[in-house]
Amino acid sequence: MRADGHAPGRPARDQHHARDAQDDEELLRRCATDVAAVADGIRQVSLRTGAALRLPAPTASARRPRTALAARWALLRALTDRRGLGGPAFTAPYPVRRTPGREDLARLVGVTALRLKIAAVLVNHPELVHDPGMRRLTAAVTAGSDPAAVRALRRLFQDRDAQRALAGLAPLMAELPAVRALLDASPPPGPDRCEGAAEAVGLTDQERQVIATEGSLLGFLRNLEVLSTDGRILVQNVRGPDGVVRYVVQAPGTAPGRPRTGSPHAGTGAWRDPAAADPPHTRYTRSVLLALREHGIPRGADLALIGHGEGGTVLLNLARDRDFCRAHRVTHVIAVGSPPDGGKPADPRTWVARIVNRHDLAALPEAGGAGAAGPSSGPRPNRYEAHYPGPSREFPACHLLRAYIAHLRTVVPEVREYADEALTPYRGTVVRTQAYRVLDRAHPPEGHPFLTLPTASVRTTTGPVDVPVRYYDSSAAHLCFPVDARTARALLPDAGRMAPSRLGGRALAVLSLYEHRCSTIGPYAEIALSLPVGDPWRPRPYDVAADLLRRLDLRRSGRHVLSLAVSSEEARTVAQELWGHKALLSGAEADLAGRALRFAAPDLGLTVEGRLGPGIPCPDADWVLYGRRGEGTVRTLVRTHGRPRLHTGTGMRLRLDTAAAEPMAGQLRRLGLDTARPLFVLACPRVLLHRSAGALLPC
Amino acid sequence: MVLESTRVIAPARELLDRAAGLRADADLMDGYARRLLATAAALAGRAAAPAPAGPALRRQAAACRTAAGRLRTAAEALAAHARAGA
Repeated sequence: MRADGHAPGRPARDQHHARDAQDDEELLRRCATDVAAVADGIRQVSLRTGAALRLPAPTASARRPRTALAARWALLRALTDRRGLGGPAFTAPYPVRRTPGREDLARLVGVTALRLKIAAVLVNHPELVHDPGMRRLTAAVTAGSDPAAVRALRRLFQDRDAQRALAGLAPLMAELPAVRALLDASPPPGPDRCEGAAEAVGLTDQERQVIATEGSLLGFLRNLEVLSTDGRILVQNVRGPDGVVRYVVQAPGTAPGRPRTGSPHAGTGAWRDPAAADPPHTRYTRSVLLALREHGIPRGADLALIGHGEGGTVLLNLARDRDFCRAHRVTHVIAVGSPPDGGKPADPRTWVARIVNRHDLAALPEAGGAGAAGPSSGPRPNRYEAHYPGPSREFPACHLLRAYIAHLRTVVPEVREYADEALTPYRGTVVRTQAYRVLDRAHPPEGHPFLTLPTASVRTTTGPVDVPVRYYDSSAAHLCFPVDARTARALLPDAGRMAPSRLGGRALAVLSLYEHRCSTIGPYAEIALSLPVGDPWRPRPYDVAADLLRRLDLRRSGRHVLSLAVSSEEARTVAQELWGHKALLSGAEADLAGRALRFAAPDLGLTVEGRLGPGIPCPDADWVLYGRRGEGTVRTLVRTHGRPRLHTGTGMRLRLDTAAAEPMAGQLRRLGLDTARPLFVLACPRVLLHRSAGALLPC
Repeated sequence: MVLESTRVIAPARELLDRAAGLRADADLMDGYARRLLATAAALAGRAAAPAPAGPALRRQAAACRTAAGRLRTAAEALAAHARAGA
């Protein structure tokens, strides 16, 4: 056995699998491209046939009405035959007005091409199966017959709630707009105004400690990581080794599963707002220009532009802006994890570098992982393309700036050294740092008005966290089980003070399942077991019922969280340090957006699945959650906004495939939930929520 | 008073050109059918290919052939109309 774990002379199985997967992906990708080209060709034939039908009518000739009618009829059959082109008879120029119940051949073929492209993407990135956008897209393209799939896809493209999820599908962003145009399924139009804006903002003390004080590639990238989620850009004045002050503009991208509060989108703009797809005029670019104007950069000054993801795209666009490059000298552009740009910088002397992990689908949407095995210089002068294979294929983790920073330190240090050498004029002391918030005045902030709240930064062991923690796109299901009140009471930490609320002589246990697709602490899944409890000081059996009539902040009863499992380290830290919940870290797959629910946490040996029974709408369910910190109780307020429904729980089933007695499984068993079905389920396929920081009570 | 129709009678030459265009499109559709069938064949037996893709491609190839036939019929009808008016 060799050191790499393979026997000598025997082909490595993993290598075979990898090669097969690569072959499959290339084949599927090639087929998808060819079928998409066929769809486009059929669309052109439909267009020409429709045009021939609309040309001045041959029947105008009174001398030959029979042949004229026959010709017209034949053209009509050619265009409309359901077994052929299948287009509608009376059409304006393509995209044709749809006839209910029929879909033309070009659209059917276009959807087949999309199916193949989805399969190609999933070969090497099976983790994307769980992506919310991919899930919805897959459900649409496999919705029964071909015409049914076309209709499902059109509904999905026009669904306002689906736009966020679809905009996050970077690996398919080259195809989706074309398919959407083919299906004549543009989203509802947005405002006509195209207003970017920028305002100077201060950095927090904590941020100031992290912001680089010396110019270097890693320093600038770490700055971007500090800024990453709240729509700020940074401009630093750097005194170079020659004593000249130069300017470094740093623009972050979006982090998957985190909101981009109030700022314009660039990378996803082409999907969300096709009218604003002209790159130099995106609102983000406009906002960056305004920020630079406010910064007071003198005419003719040297600038380096450094960005990640869509921030890099914006800066590449900026370098192509002739007016901007006449006013300033853009000497360097470094885009990390950004997709390839088609154009050239306005100033031919500008040095452009693109650093890309070849597994990063957001940066290599077309190559799909193909690329140079190591750093390589492109054929163009002043152009540096570094494509390297990162240690992990998992997307979107490999798109995170944190991953790129780690790779530049350990996997491809030569790329960092090369870029640092190129940045020599900027490798001096930072003499001024100013952050600007780029704004989109044409659109309300995401989650407005429910999630537009004053926030404060709280320090945790994994970094600062804004509270209230806000959830912009979640699904939730609360399974409510009647349980023995004495058993429930025994599970509470201080049996003398806290007592479970009663429901007809029984206590209630709530198993809450969450799929958080976008939140200020990133995307994660969550499962929590809790018991409704009364006032910690004066517990009465039916407190909960009376409290339901009170405002959330006046309630004394709540749910005591017995155990909690989350799928991200950041969420675990926040749950423990802010809310006083004992949280486990566990991988989880959640699909709670439909009628059939499924939540699986293999590490816990726990699966919840089933179909919701009949339901009725009910008011939003706000909660008080109780946790423990030391000898005290932590009280957290949770406000929700969605359209919850109360369902019968007979179709749902909890399954425990573990003999472990670790907290959650043991508690579930003691409460008898491993064999029970919930009495009812409160489900909300899409919900916004925010959770306050926990307040420590002396009880 | 005599009203002149705004409709223009397409001259025979133009009708023949249109017929030729339809025939060319029919050939294109036959080509598309072949490409779709070749794609279906290439994907046959590949576990990574989506299961409904093969039958869908074959159905769509058949539709392309039908469309090609219809376009040729339309081209013939136009040509006959042109000849009748000549």
